[in-house]
Amino acid sequence: MSRYVMVADLNRCVGCQTCTAACKHANATPPGVQWRRVLDVESGEYPDVRRTFLPVGCMHCASPPCMDVCPSTATRRRDDGLVTIDYDLCIGCGYCMVACPYQARFKVASLAGAYGDARMPHEEARAHPERLNVAQKCTFCIDRIDAGLAAGLVPGEDAEATPACVNACIADALTFGDIENPDSRVSRLLRDNESFRMHEELGTDPGVYYLWAPVS
Amino acid sequence: MGVPADSRTVPTYCYQCVAGPDLLRVRVEDGVAVSVEGNADAAACTPSGGKACVKAFGLIQKVYNPHRVLTPMRRTNPRKGPDEDPGFVPIDWDEALDAVAERIRAAREAGGTDASGYPRIAASFGGGGTPTYYMGTFPALLSAFMPVDFSFGSGQGVKCYHSEHLYGEFWHRAFTVAPDTPSCDYILSFGFNVEASGGVCGVRRHAEARARGIKRVQIEPHLSITGACSAEWVPIRPKTDAAFLFALIHVLLHEKRAGLDLPFLKSRTNAPYLVAPGGFYLRDAASGKPLVLDLLSGRAVPFDTPGIDPALTGRFTASGVEHGADDDNWCHESVPVHPAFERLIRHVAPYSPEWAGGICDVEPALIRRIACEFLEHARVGETVEIDGRTMPRRPVAVVLGKTVNNGWGGFDCCWGRTVLSCLVGALEVPGGTLGTTVRLNRPAHDRNLSVTPGPDGFMDYPMNPTDAGNWVDRPAVRNANRTLVPLVANSPWSVALGPTHLAWMQQKQAFDHWPEPTLPDLWFVYRTNPAVSFWDTAQVSQTAARFPFTVCFAYTRDETNHMADILLPDCTDLEGLQLIRVGGTKFVEQFWDHQGFALRQPAVASRGESRDMTWIATELARRSGVLEAYNHAINRGAAGVPLKSGHGDFSLDPGVPHDVETIWDAVCRAASVEISDGADDHGLEHYRERGFRVKPFPRIKWYLTAEMEDQGLRYELPYQERLLRIGVELGRRLHAKGVGWWDAQLEEYEALPTWKDFPRLWETALANHFGVDIADYPFWLVTARSMQYSWGSNAAIQVIHEVAGNIRGHGGLVMNAGRARGLGLADGDRVSIRSPLAETRGIVVTSQGIRPDTLLLVGQFDHWATPLAREFDMPSMNAHVPMLLSLTDSTGSGADLARVAVSRLEGAS
Repeated sequence: MSRYVMVADLNRCVGCQTCTAACKHANATPPGVQWRRVLDVESGEYPDVRRTFLPVGCMHCASPPCMDVCPSTATRRRDDGLVTIDYDLCIGCGYCMVACPYQARFKVASLAGAYGDARMPHEEARAHPERLNVAQKCTFCIDRIDAGLAAGLVPGEDAEATPACVNACIADALTFGDIENPDSRVSRLLRDNESFRMHEELGTDPGVYYLWAPVS
Repeated sequence: MGVPADSRTVPTYCYQCVAGPDLLRVRVEDGVAVSVEGNADAAACTPSGGKACVKAFGLIQKVYNPHRVLTPMRRTNPRKGPDEDPGFVPIDWDEALDAVAERIRAAREAGGTDASGYPRIAASFGGGGTPTYYMGTFPALLSAFMPVDFSFGSGQGVKCYHSEHLYGEFWHRAFTVAPDTPSCDYILSFGFNVEASGGVCGVRRHAEARARGIKRVQIEPHLSITGACSAEWVPIRPKTDAAFLFALIHVLLHEKRAGLDLPFLKSRTNAPYLVAPGGFYLRDAASGKPLVLDLLSGRAVPFDTPGIDPALTGRFTASGVEHGADDDNWCHESVPVHPAFERLIRHVAPYSPEWAGGICDVEPALIRRIACEFLEHARVGETVEIDGRTMPRRPVAVVLGKTVNNGWGGFDCCWGRTVLSCLVGALEVPGGTLGTTVRLNRPAHDRNLSVTPGPDGFMDYPMNPTDAGNWVDRPAVRNANRTLVPLVANSPWSVALGPTHLAWMQQKQAFDHWPEPTLPDLWFVYRTNPAVSFWDTAQVSQTAARFPFTVCFAYTRDETNHMADILLPDCTDLEGLQLIRVGGTKFVEQFWDHQGFALRQPAVASRGESRDMTWIATELARRSGVLEAYNHAINRGAAGVPLKSGHGDFSLDPGVPHDVETIWDAVCRAASVEISDGADDHGLEHYRERGFRVKPFPRIKWYLTAEMEDQGLRYELPYQERLLRIGVELGRRLHAKGVGWWDAQLEEYEALPTWKDFPRLWETALANHFGVDIADYPFWLVTARSMQYSWGSNAAIQVIHEVAGNIRGHGGLVMNAGRARGLGLADGDRVSIRSPLAETRGIVVTSQGIRPDTLLLVGQFDHWATPLAREFDMPSMNAHVPMLLSLTDSTGSGADLARVAVSRLEGAS
């Protein structure tokens, strides 16, 4: 069985937001909605300060709190680890948005474009009315994964089967793949590096790993 | 969202910033551009790995932005000013082009220059030359009706690496400087914000370097993006970097001298040249060559005498001649002399870490440790094979950022940086500090080819003359670049690298004994917005409002084209056609193993009445009567490639206008024969399909020292005998003309730079000019580049604003959290930012990552006309930086530095 996860190397990420923008292109998300984004986090006190860039989004948890609270069964978890939202089933109650400890979910009530109600041609061409008034979030570019798998490609190895943010990352900070495959890039990175997951203590078993140092 | 009937990707490039180009693909569905992605085909042949920068993801919105100017416009309100409604009305292209052509004709018929000798036509372009990658054949048009005055700066000097540009090219053909990041182990970065301004190449190369364990120390008043990604942050007091660098040199020379690269210093620099009592070299009376003291024979001999071992240290007695400025010559018999290196040792003796510590507000032990780390990492003595050639391997580099490498102190820091590299033999060798490109020397596409033998064993340099017979005593342009700045040379870039604020300043107050400051009859503005991007933006706006006839190529309405008479809508990045050179080595971290050409092509049809720049240039050439000269310029290579070479002749018929595709097809064919050595002449269609074409570029060409070795040349370091001489000569020329207002700048021409109290210099200049007590302005205000915005002219793009908002500092004035607390300020408080020059308003963003005496404003905003951006409520430091001669260095640059006070606005919380 596969479990697709993402690995973010904090030693490489510079917070450029190329992944943020690439996600918006690939998934045609509306203004203000960022399924993928990079946080700019400061810790310590002057002059002993650290500033860390932290890519975040849906963690595709193995125990997703968003799924537990979903009254309509719209949020589900696939066997390969991807947490999905069925827009037809979602009633837009927003429980999942509150339950998610990663603030990864969004809901919009209008199809307004970047410059107001009059949508630009590319916004019109790629409008997603099915996402109106329902929860939306990072899908790990599920369409690319499924189409890639159908074409015999390997997610995380072949760009066509890999999330857009990973392909776009200019620092090669993001890596995607099957953690159950010991030879995958993500498995190798996790063996070679110290890592953590965000809010692991909540028992969500998140599917995004952060590398912070090579294994000594 | 339905399934598109037609979906394809179009290869093109993004060159919005100087860290480009990024080769990319645009997905087009049913004729609509929908997304941007990298160009995987280019992954193996570009240092960017075929990836595209975040700025490129704004290009789709740029096409479809409803705020675009989509028809030519004419001003109807003759009164100009920020508070005047221009009353723009749409007109057709015929009317617009004829109106502009009439002005061109009139300027040319009046002789091209005015009573002051200044060009009647002026043009201003955006930063770093990037507009040339979008303006098609417009350079051919400008060359057809020269002279054109590029004097009116839009950011140069204060926003660029100005001192680095000039001294860098002088010393090692380094218009900009970069570490040899892929093989460097230790970088000292004085405010060089590569993770925000280095584009994909910079980010990628440094990420790889971090992954393999490089140590970078970021020395900067605030914890920038680059500081965040560095191993160590040293919060130095603003504008004291030169003291830090001098102290590093002090440690190496006075505490670690035995570990230096003495063979490099002896053979590749002027360190052994004997300096006579007057400060100039002691020379051989017969040949005029500088002398060195040969330790083998104990005699002073010409520097290039074979089989000698020149002394670096000591005091000697020798005879010879000394050539000073002009005809000043002295004959010396048995006078005391020192090698330049000995002079250097003595010169930096006072500059200990203990001395610098107090100036920089940095622990002396830390400075000493860094000096030792630098030396240890330099691996003096090691070699490495590059392209089959044995080269020194010195994996240490020093880089400087904006405000460090321009304005007062820029010379000192550039000198300190380059000397540090020389001391360990790390200049222009694998792992070390490298130049990227040339713009003042030629040819621009390969800096190695610009190396030719010059005087005294050094490279030649196209210095503007300072001798009485050849000095350009009457400025040909309004910023007087060749008259005042010998180092700025005389290439097509030299005017824009002159003291560009002088052109603006003179419009407010004329200089004594100088031509009457006139306004140009016609001013072209392309891809720039000086009313926002320059310094003292209020003055720039007021002056721009007085220009009699301004033609702006307009994307949206903005603060500069608010003063325009004609707006011309040109194609955006994804709508136009152009072939450019790529690869080799260039600007910011762009070190390629390939070189060749890339095509920018329409991914979609141009919107509205917008037109390709090449079409506009051709039409203006035709209507203003310069078509033949314009076509000749294209044939000569004004579109990037000479159309006639030994491999073929693709010249255009000069007598007739040609359409856009015909012109670029000819350029493509000329490029093909060049890159294939005549094997094929593929035209435009070939480039349309793949987007680029490259061939290998030898890596040894990254390292200028190989070329220097081949030609037996030396770097003109550490001693600046030539600068000392031209400084004296320039002073004599100016004084003979009665000009005394450039005297402070003349003092910068030193053989070895002495420390000046640069922070005090700023404080004194501001206090004197504005008559204020500087204590009332307790904060230093600095700025930093934004990865999402820098150079991009993209403030009107919503998605850029949205994603940039994730990065601290894009929302307001960054202030040390403890200091803010002490002032009763908190995050989100609205404050007044008051400098001696101006008052602006903004929102407080508290941070631990900034010195308590320093404030930070990221980027350049403060828009009041540009759609979307005018709603940001984001102040800019540009309003606070005055144009003052007392804050202008000898290269003609200032620095992004201001003193301000901050107070909570009444009623705000």
